[in-house]
Amino acid sequence: MASVPEARSDNPQAFLPDFCAAGTILVVLLVAELVAIVLALASYTLAGTFLVELANISMYVLWLALLGAALLCRIRPWVERRGKTQAFILSFVLLVVLYLVLAEAAWQLSRYFDALSLITDSHARFLLRSFAVSTIVIALAMRYMYVSSEWRRSILLEAQARISALQALIRPHFLFNSMNTIASLTRSDPQRAEEAVEDLADLLRANLGGPKDRTTLKEELEVAAIYQRIEKLRLGERLNVRWNVQELPMRALIPSLTIQPLLENAIYHGIELLPDGGEVTVSGRRAGDQLHIEIANPVAAGETRRTPGNKMAMSNIRQRFELAYGARATVNVDVSDSHYSVQLRFPFEERMP
Amino acid sequence: MNILIVDDEEPARARLRQMIEDAGEHVVVGEAGNGLEALELAAKLEPDVVLLDIRMPGLSGIETANHLSTAASAPAVVFTTAYDEYAIEAFEAQAVGYILKPVRRERLAQGLRQAARMSTGVLAEVARQSGLRAERRHVCSRFQDELKLIPVEDIAVFHADQKYVSVHHDKGTDLIDDSLKALEEEFSDAFVRIHRSFLVAVREIRSLRKTEDGQVLVMLRSGDFEEGLVVSRRHVATVRRRIA
Repeated sequence: MASVPEARSDNPQAFLPDFCAAGTILVVLLVAELVAIVLALASYTLAGTFLVELANISMYVLWLALLGAALLCRIRPWVERRGKTQAFILSFVLLVVLYLVLAEAAWQLSRYFDALSLITDSHARFLLRSFAVSTIVIALAMRYMYVSSEWRRSILLEAQARISALQALIRPHFLFNSMNTIASLTRSDPQRAEEAVEDLADLLRANLGGPKDRTTLKEELEVAAIYQRIEKLRLGERLNVRWNVQELPMRALIPSLTIQPLLENAIYHGIELLPDGGEVTVSGRRAGDQLHIEIANPVAAGETRRTPGNKMAMSNIRQRFELAYGARATVNVDVSDSHYSVQLRFPFEERMP
Repeated sequence: MNILIVDDEEPARARLRQMIEDAGEHVVVGEAGNGLEALELAAKLEPDVVLLDIRMPGLSGIETANHLSTAASAPAVVFTTAYDEYAIEAFEAQAVGYILKPVRRERLAQGLRQAARMSTGVLAEVARQSGLRAERRHVCSRFQDELKLIPVEDIAVFHADQKYVSVHHDKGTDLIDDSLKALEEEFSDAFVRIHRSFLVAVREIRSLRKTEDGQVLVMLRSGDFEEGLVVSRRHVATVRRRIA
């Protein structure tokens, strides 16, 4: 029972609406009444009396709706814990079973009050009819709830991606180290200091704009190249970056600020911790309508296990690829004792002219 | 004062050197690009103060400071860092001198005044508070001018022999300055005291054997002590528990 309050709170990640809330029950009753009207209209003939028929059906349907809502209210915390697919299947099956039982109960009751002749059908036909109608209505309702929970989830995902994109902005560590490098170069090599300030300004501009949805590969690779130039001033001979990206179509679109943070990771967690430095390889190719980009770097022994900052950048990039491409893109990480690489696969798309 | 600058980034070292030379009060006696070089130079040049970058490849700044603190004439240490929220909180709490990069002239002078010898305890406390690693991954053997780092995972036995401790490891035997008691405390996770003068790596113990006269021997997997090492009576219980 301890988990009930949690599920009742308006958790946007819940799959099912909160059936214990008054608002939801009102909606359920309204929908049930509409269904009753539809059923009454469908069976309306000139000989019949519409209002009596409607009252009859309404009484039955409203009771079903209320008991169904009560059932969902009770089982919701329990089914929510089982993941989305199971939550929907379980709720569906339980509701169908409940309504079958209630149909049987209604039949027995109507036998008891025989004089009222509430149900004029044969036993089997009544059960079958009731089963078919309730199953179709439940299926429709489930479909609606599924779609709206998907919709809530995508809004949530987008919001999370925005927030973590903000968090993925350039590391303070990089910023202050670069400033220190520039302060040092101001005396020894004013011209390079000047270039470094310009590069840093460009890089900050690209980052402060925040991640735009998508940008061209050309722009994205330029930002990464600028980043590499600044790091090269600081790390000197220790840093080498090899670009094997000639095969990539430069007009292709990519979620912005993805290659630069990956290069930053490769340097921060990889090259910087190797006494003799190393080489980061950025390679890309096109395979049909898919683009593959890989960023690979050597790591110091034992460093691959402890990289919390890295995980945040990776989950941010994953989220943004999922948001942009859904299942059409994959973000893979390969880790060994001395090696780390990230592979991006995503569809080749261009901006509409 | 004589100052040794340790930073893996050349421009960062150049700037510190420039600023110290400009002020004219102190002398820069050397520059090192990593922790090992720093230890070698410190042994050779005996500086009064070491300016030590925290984030370096190989030995980190904190580890390097730990090694420096074990030397006979340990220099004072001032840490430098570009950004390290947690470390800075820890430095403040432990009153350890530090300088933020980009370095300001006044801050450098103040940092140098604050420079103090580090004790292992303070460093361990800093490491605990900042989430950085302080425990050494190597022990440092100094023989005349030569300095050697021995990875802790290669060590089988520390043996206290009169004035020195000898380290028996995969590639031979070396002498170090550390005391057996300090080593026992620092590496308590991987080593166990079996005798007044022996500290043994737990993973190296193959078995315990009882001799006819009731003594307990530790049999090792490899190395220099084929006939086993005697476990003194008061350590037997602990040793049994550690290898269980």
